[in-house]
Amino acid sequence: MSLVTIAYYVLTAFLLGLVIWNFVREKVSRDRLVLYLLVMVPLILRLLRVK
Amino acid sequence: MRREATVKASLAAALAGLVLWGGLPLYRHRHFGVPVVKGPGVTAVLKLSEFSKGLEGTAADTTVFVLQGKEPGGRALVMGNTHASEPEGMLTALIFIEHAVVEKGTLYVIPFFNASAGRNTRPGDGYPLYFDVPTEWGSKRFRFGNRDASPLDQWPDPDVTVHYPTKQLLSYIDARNTNRTWPGRPGGLPMERVTFGAMELIRREKVDLAIDIHGAETMFPVTNCIVAPEKSVRVATMAALTVKAAEGFESHVEPSPPRFHGLSHREIGDHSDALPFLLEAPIPFLDQPTGPKTVEFFLDGKDPFLLSLSKKKKLFVPYDETGWSLEKRVGQHCSTTLEIFRQFSRRNADRALVVKGVPRYAEILENGVGHYYADPSKAAPGTVLRH
Repeated sequence: MSLVTIAYYVLTAFLLGLVIWNFVREKVSRDRLVLYLLVMVPLILRLLRVK
Repeated sequence: MRREATVKASLAAALAGLVLWGGLPLYRHRHFGVPVVKGPGVTAVLKLSEFSKGLEGTAADTTVFVLQGKEPGGRALVMGNTHASEPEGMLTALIFIEHAVVEKGTLYVIPFFNASAGRNTRPGDGYPLYFDVPTEWGSKRFRFGNRDASPLDQWPDPDVTVHYPTKQLLSYIDARNTNRTWPGRPGGLPMERVTFGAMELIRREKVDLAIDIHGAETMFPVTNCIVAPEKSVRVATMAALTVKAAEGFESHVEPSPPRFHGLSHREIGDHSDALPFLLEAPIPFLDQPTGPKTVEFFLDGKDPFLLSLSKKKKLFVPYDETGWSLEKRVGQHCSTTLEIFRQFSRRNADRALVVKGVPRYAEILENGVGHYYADPSKAAPGTVLRH
């Protein structure tokens, strides 16, 4: 795996961490909770090396 | 507070379910092994990484089947699944692996050339994950791949692909397209290493003929043809004329554009002594304006929308109610490949390649493609590989 690819995986993990943090901190909007979860799907699939 | 936690936990559980529901079939597809039964003509099995060290241990490495004849002669390389969404090439290559017996010369067969693309999927276009070819013993299952390598094996994509060595600018996605990365380089991106491995095989083994088997849309002008550069045109023309006269199917010759780089039919000829050929058979399944992309449609090639377009003369091939079946496509490829061998051998007696046992167009039309695949569960021990 090249350094650039590793950097992209680190970026993906960082973005996923941000979204999880926002999900945990969200107090008001259920719509936002659902949206955070949907945004997580491709990030999780990539980190698990599924798609 | 408790209510909020319950809502979040429920939603997170729903997400986990969604990831499992969507992800598991993709995971299974990526790890599904297609059984390949070695026929009596296979004398050695190599990995492409033996010619391109950078592929070793990666998902882009692939298997090379060697069929060496008793007598020395010409050498040919046959490649399938350069584009894994055009599996006719791979199906043809498997027929050669199971049935070809080389009497003179040596044949190298790479059925899963872009091995990573064969483990990539195209669910966004509604493509199935697998297709089953009916046989006398049941059905043989294959992965339906994508045109390009999986981003799991080569990521990220560049904004623009800069072809090596010409520096020609290509679409970003072509960095994962093994018919745009020829001649490749040893330390390049994984797909450049794949094509470099094949170039090294061609150069080191002194391959005379390199045949890259594809399929194309019926609405695409470069279909139902042999694409050949200047040095291959004579053999390609004779092969095209012969199959039309003797076997009754069309496969005209298209010139390889000299300034369009990265394609096998251009770069193999420019970077080695081999004569390259790229075979195209029409695959209605690949066309855009069709009905659902079902396995049945892939097998029989019948579609009412294409039929309507054909009546309006919008297609580049004749198309009627009989469609364009898998048998026709694979049959054409088998016959055209054998005819290229024969035409080359006629002109180069000292480098002749004599291959027996491979069925031709009419036989495949009559018996079906599946007739030529052995039951892996009944194959002799040690003769089945999973790819």
